[in-house]
Amino acid sequence: MSASPKEKAGAPAVFKKIQPAEWSEPALVSNGRSFGWITDKICGIVESKTPKWWWWCFIVCLGICSYLGVGLFYLVSTGVGTWGLANPVNWGWAITNFVFWIGIGHAGTLISAVLCLLKQRWRTSINRGAEAMTIFAVMCAGIFPLFHVGRVWFGWWLLPLPNVNAVWPQFRSPLEWDVFAVSTYFTVSLLFWYMGMVPDFGVLRDRAKKTWRKYFYGVLAMGWRNATNHWRNYEMAYLILAGLSTPLVLSVHTIVSFDFAVANLPGWHTTIFPPYFVAGAIFSGFGMVLTLLLPLRSIYGLHDLINQKHIDNMCKVTLATGSIVGYAYSMEFFIAWYGANEFEGFAFINRAFGVYWWAYWIMISCNVICPQLFWFRKVRENIALVWIISIFVNVGMWFERFVIVNTTLANDFLPSSWGYYSPTVVDIFTFFGTFGFFGLLFLLFIRFFPLMPMSEIKAVVPEADPHGGKHE
Amino acid sequence: MSAAEGKDAHAGLKTKFLAAAVAGCTLGMIGLYMGITNDEPDPRPILGWLLGLGFWLSIAVGMLMLTMLLRIFRSSWGVVVRRQLEHGLHAFPVLAACFAPLLLIAWFGEGQAGILWQWINPANELPELVDGSRHHVSEDILYLKKSGYLNIPFFSIRAIIYFGIFCGLAHWMRKCSFEQDKDGSPKWTVLGHHISAIGIPAAALALTFAAFDWFMSLEYHWFSTMFGVWFFAGSMRAGLAVTIIICFFQSTRGQLKGIYNQAHRYDLACLSLTFTIFWAYISFSQYFLIYQANIPEETFWYQIREINPITEEKITWWWVSMGLVFGHFLAPFLYLLWYRNKIDVQRLLVAACWILSFHLLDMYWNILPGRVLADNSLGYLPREFTISHWDIAAIIGIGGLCGLRYLQSLNQSEVEDIPVRDPQILESIHHHE
Repeated sequence: MSASPKEKAGAPAVFKKIQPAEWSEPALVSNGRSFGWITDKICGIVESKTPKWWWWCFIVCLGICSYLGVGLFYLVSTGVGTWGLANPVNWGWAITNFVFWIGIGHAGTLISAVLCLLKQRWRTSINRGAEAMTIFAVMCAGIFPLFHVGRVWFGWWLLPLPNVNAVWPQFRSPLEWDVFAVSTYFTVSLLFWYMGMVPDFGVLRDRAKKTWRKYFYGVLAMGWRNATNHWRNYEMAYLILAGLSTPLVLSVHTIVSFDFAVANLPGWHTTIFPPYFVAGAIFSGFGMVLTLLLPLRSIYGLHDLINQKHIDNMCKVTLATGSIVGYAYSMEFFIAWYGANEFEGFAFINRAFGVYWWAYWIMISCNVICPQLFWFRKVRENIALVWIISIFVNVGMWFERFVIVNTTLANDFLPSSWGYYSPTVVDIFTFFGTFGFFGLLFLLFIRFFPLMPMSEIKAVVPEADPHGGKHE
Repeated sequence: MSAAEGKDAHAGLKTKFLAAAVAGCTLGMIGLYMGITNDEPDPRPILGWLLGLGFWLSIAVGMLMLTMLLRIFRSSWGVVVRRQLEHGLHAFPVLAACFAPLLLIAWFGEGQAGILWQWINPANELPELVDGSRHHVSEDILYLKKSGYLNIPFFSIRAIIYFGIFCGLAHWMRKCSFEQDKDGSPKWTVLGHHISAIGIPAAALALTFAAFDWFMSLEYHWFSTMFGVWFFAGSMRAGLAVTIIICFFQSTRGQLKGIYNQAHRYDLACLSLTFTIFWAYISFSQYFLIYQANIPEETFWYQIREINPITEEKITWWWVSMGLVFGHFLAPFLYLLWYRNKIDVQRLLVAACWILSFHLLDMYWNILPGRVLADNSLGYLPREFTISHWDIAAIIGIGGLCGLRYLQSLNQSEVEDIPVRDPQILESIHHHE
């Protein structure tokens, strides 16, 4: 280690012994790509001619989305009874799908905000796509409670507007808290996503050759000029929004967990629900990020920007959160036995071996067992396998919500009132359609908006480091 | 500072720790003996010992988890701090030894075997019921249902497993770091990373079930899935607070002088703030969900920390509860939001001491309240909050032992002041915000 004479004079004696072991960390941008290459690569996605695969995907998603339209139209014109909700299961797929999509909507803001606060530089290549995923997933989630009210045009009654009908909503209900939490989360996430794109819109505007592009990106860039004060304000706003988003990420799924946990029902009333739901949401969100970004990486040749280090880290987060979810499952089971409450005990035995046993074991296999494969480097390096496991994670997390909702409601305290929940074709159409809706929005995003934050990626390449990555 | 200089510098401290350990542990042992042999056996000295042990164990567990988290995240800033944590991990074997007296009472205490954990002695009388009848633990349906888990042999085996996991992980965390000082091989970094990856879930399970066994089963009727997470959150706060205090002393007059800088303090303070919020989140969630459900089999645990069921007046624990809300969460939360408080040496030291003090209060709150036999409509009288000389003896005695172990590790001649051959040591030394 070299140091100036002044430093040497005052340096602790132990500094003379410093001799770091040889070690190399993989670069966050592979193959020493330059600033120019990064700009060309990311802008190229938006500027190039619309590829054929995009159109095919768009048409397919549009077709799938039409199921959503049909399902919702039929529901509104006929009534909520067209969903398979009936005593004793009055929540069924509606809340299962809501929680599923909300969970997915967590990873984006988590990657952007929490990892930003934790100074995790690897997030830069994946945060934009994850944020977009968040916005679209929350939009999908919102459909279910909104249409569950039946007369959807009265959805605004959820808001506290006492001068209409002289009625307040039930503030003591976590379902009402959901309205505030999810809408606040959506608003802040949207702002965060949009604000992060402003510098990139400026780049796209400056590179635009067609007039409509200049105006389109010019309006979106809001006069961005790369001035020092612009950057200073941008960095400050980004940090503040990251700080605001972090508690929001945690609060949303905490409140979603309260939807269940405040009820005195076996299988729902358990104190670990809040952190368990948050961990599950992060888990499912990372699962979806992998599902979306791995194909895009191949299609657009983004291997240098989303390299093995990013995939490794995402797999490890998935493994960690999947294990936390597994811990929560174990605690629930153990305490159900230890608590010696026969109804609680029955609820869990019934989950594993009752009429919904198949759903429970799908959940365990996908959420707890499958991610354990990520312990192995060879699995993490096999991109196809990682993608398949990510699909299993998505499937598993949907089943988790299905198991929580249905096993408890279908087999309550009185066997005489037990029932078996089955979705109707309208349920299936609506849920299936949301994937089309989500896909449509995501396709539009990758076609018109910058898929990755160029300026942030440039900040993690060695060229951006005044010390050249050395601490000599 | 060389090891020889270090020995001289720490000689005075060693004497103090030794005196504290001898005095505290002797008094603590007398308390344990008196507790079980008095004409009217008194669980208070034994609770005091468990409190002291729980307090120091939570600190050691927090330091172990922090070491493994720094390893698993390949955190460069924490390398110089990590060495102090590794010295702290040397305390685990003595903590295991301090648990032994409690096990001995359970095994050989005969009529008083269940003086601490009531379920250990099935002949223990339960609180008198409204109809005046008295029952024994052996007739308690809740005990009978849990007896497959709550029995002395299994309890002892589990304790050995928990300490085995803690001691094993502590040993390997230290070995990976100290051996690298000698040969500079990067294989120790890889090994430390791998052991941490396996060690975190292992330690998480161990600390969860340890919290169930040693603290939650003091009121064996009660249960909460969140209890293990509470112990983890509290341990992390305590471990971080002690780390900040150690780093303060080492940077002002010891090994970290000229090394531990403002950015290190800032990061440790940010972690403290994070776990302050996390602790509040966990504690509030547990309280809120039990309050909301209002099921008597769960709420009694909070009630004995709030009211006297006969007079329906607030008891001393209520003030402790409020102290935890405002002192253990709100005050450090607001204090640590300020940037200046996170980087200033003295101010951060104040925060660490504050958090550690309130962590001790939190341990009191979770361990001490219990149902004392009494004839009243709810079947119990709560044990009021008191600070006993037995508690102080145990805290000082076990703390002295832990301090001695820390110094013993610190003064090893072959171990450097900081991990000089860690691949990230330069990044850590030059760490800046």
